[in-house]
Amino acid sequence: MDAIIQAFELVFTWPVMTTILGAALFGLLVGAVPGLTATMATALLVPLTFFMDPIPAVGAMVTCAAMAIFAGDIPGALLRIPGTPASAAYTHEAYAMTRKGEAETALGACVLFSAIGGLFGTAVLIFAAPTLAEFALNFSSQEYFWMAMLGLTCSAFIGSPSPIKGLVSLLIGLLVATVGLNNAAGVPRFTFGSTDLMAGIDFIPAMIGLFAVSEVFRTVAAGAPAWDNVQVKVGNIFRNWGGMVVTYWRQQLRGNVTGTAIGILPGAGADVAAYVSYAVSRRFSKTPEKYGTGHLEGVVEATSSNNASLSSAWVPALVFGIPGDTITAIVIGVLYVKGLNPGPTLFIFNPQLIYAVFLIFLLANLLMIPLGWLVIKLARGLLRTPRSILMPIILIFCIVGAFASNNAVYGIIIMLVFGILGFFMEENEIPIAPCILGIVIGPILEHNFITTMIKSDGSFITFVDRPIAAVLAVGLFLIWASVLYRAFQSRGAAAS
Amino acid sequence: MRFSDTMLGAMLLILGIAVTAYARTLPAVPGQQYGAAAFPTLIGVGFVCCALILLVQGLKARSVPLVSFTEWTRQPGALVAVGVTILCIVAYMLLARRVGFIPVSVAILVVLFRLLSVSWGKTIFFAVAATLVTDYVFRSLLLVPLPFGMMPRMPW
Repeated sequence: MDAIIQAFELVFTWPVMTTILGAALFGLLVGAVPGLTATMATALLVPLTFFMDPIPAVGAMVTCAAMAIFAGDIPGALLRIPGTPASAAYTHEAYAMTRKGEAETALGACVLFSAIGGLFGTAVLIFAAPTLAEFALNFSSQEYFWMAMLGLTCSAFIGSPSPIKGLVSLLIGLLVATVGLNNAAGVPRFTFGSTDLMAGIDFIPAMIGLFAVSEVFRTVAAGAPAWDNVQVKVGNIFRNWGGMVVTYWRQQLRGNVTGTAIGILPGAGADVAAYVSYAVSRRFSKTPEKYGTGHLEGVVEATSSNNASLSSAWVPALVFGIPGDTITAIVIGVLYVKGLNPGPTLFIFNPQLIYAVFLIFLLANLLMIPLGWLVIKLARGLLRTPRSILMPIILIFCIVGAFASNNAVYGIIIMLVFGILGFFMEENEIPIAPCILGIVIGPILEHNFITTMIKSDGSFITFVDRPIAAVLAVGLFLIWASVLYRAFQSRGAAAS
Repeated sequence: MRFSDTMLGAMLLILGIAVTAYARTLPAVPGQQYGAAAFPTLIGVGFVCCALILLVQGLKARSVPLVSFTEWTRQPGALVAVGVTILCIVAYMLLARRVGFIPVSVAILVVLFRLLSVSWGKTIFFAVAATLVTDYVFRSLLLVPLPFGMMPRMPW
């Protein structure tokens, strides 16, 4: 109980509340601008969090990400350009509703069900995380090895259109993670005599490069074309909220559960959740023929799902230190910088911090309703901000942010290299998310592999002779088998 | 710029072989079977496997050119624009220390705004305003030691 009171004292202070409010507005603005993703919003926020206490730093990232995922629905509904990839699954549907003159219903549903979804995911986080943490105290290097493998597998194969390109991206991330002295043997690897590289590749400038700089390159290359003018008038978004909850409670609940489950899975995030939920909704709908013509049902289920997954992605991140998606991958980096090493012991030694994070989640999802309304009202003006002015300014932020990560030009070099890499990868349809998860999970995987091998004197049996480890291993092999089966099946279908 | 599966496969094959060869040169930990070399070797082998699959896929499809230009790269000036943006970042790395954050940032913004055909009035206004706001936020609020160069300290 003491911890909960302490958590309230940590959160309800002026600096924390103003930080959260600021981060919420920032997240809404970035999310609402097409091309700028929730992950990019979080990455751009990182340099600012260096100078904050742990609670406002984490609070800012939680709030910013939740708002950005919701705000991605706005340009999706008004322009048919998803603001973030997590909205892409139902952009077509929401836009079709706008064309029918139902923009306020679509956007109202997005605000309402995003907030409910976020709260549902948070509830699961609150109840599941401490229990799982107790369970995770029994984990040894074998279990962590399998958890890390599970995270990498999900990130490469789930939601990636081409498993082989997902794997290439993952390997790039793992390769990046091996650079430096930081390995069990303490041998410098891939440093080529550079002292900067000894410390490894700094994660934060790499993130800024992959997500933000590559987007600047793309926009500049396209000559920063203006968006179509938004002519739509959005009326009262609060209309018929009660009716929607009554009509669509089934879809909402199913979306919440699917989203939460996908979020908890290490390595798969909000965009995968939205796609899966939209497909599930269509599959179980009584009126599947209405999908694609501006039907609210699928929008409700998918928007409930992506926000739920965002909250539940924190379960593996806090409990095991293994990111649930790209956003929590960044957050884990920040937690380490702040001295809050994620893992089960965080729940024992600093429970007040965990409760404070939960509180911030609840606050963020409640704030979403008034702030979401405000941003929808401002959307027309916001979407008129020309990209030709926005992008160069973002580039300056990127440079300064990369520099701030360790106050050296080295950060900017990393940012540039990764910006070009990210640009090249997107051009060739190689997904970026597996690369990021590879960079974060790689060291965990290697460390636990080598530790296990040293403990067992080189015997591989140790990896499966503990019950939890064996279960995790079987689960992982089932996923691999299903990926291979699907690959062969699609090849067979293509051949015939 | 888009590489075909064959081209991508060939590049990854070279990368994979190079990584594996490099990993073999890493010293072993005495008395242990797995040391610093184990992981890079696995990654290298992984690259080689992916490369072979891509090569097979590419050779089957055959008719695709090795390097093709995606829609936007065919637009006049697209590649130049990306090149200029990269040069701007390189210029910052080389000049910021000597000249200072404010002049270099204004210069970069002016170049990029003009590249995206923003009018001169807006260019000057946004370049100066964005630079001063960034300088204030990062130098004064967040205490990032942005280089002064030959500029005097701003009044904040």
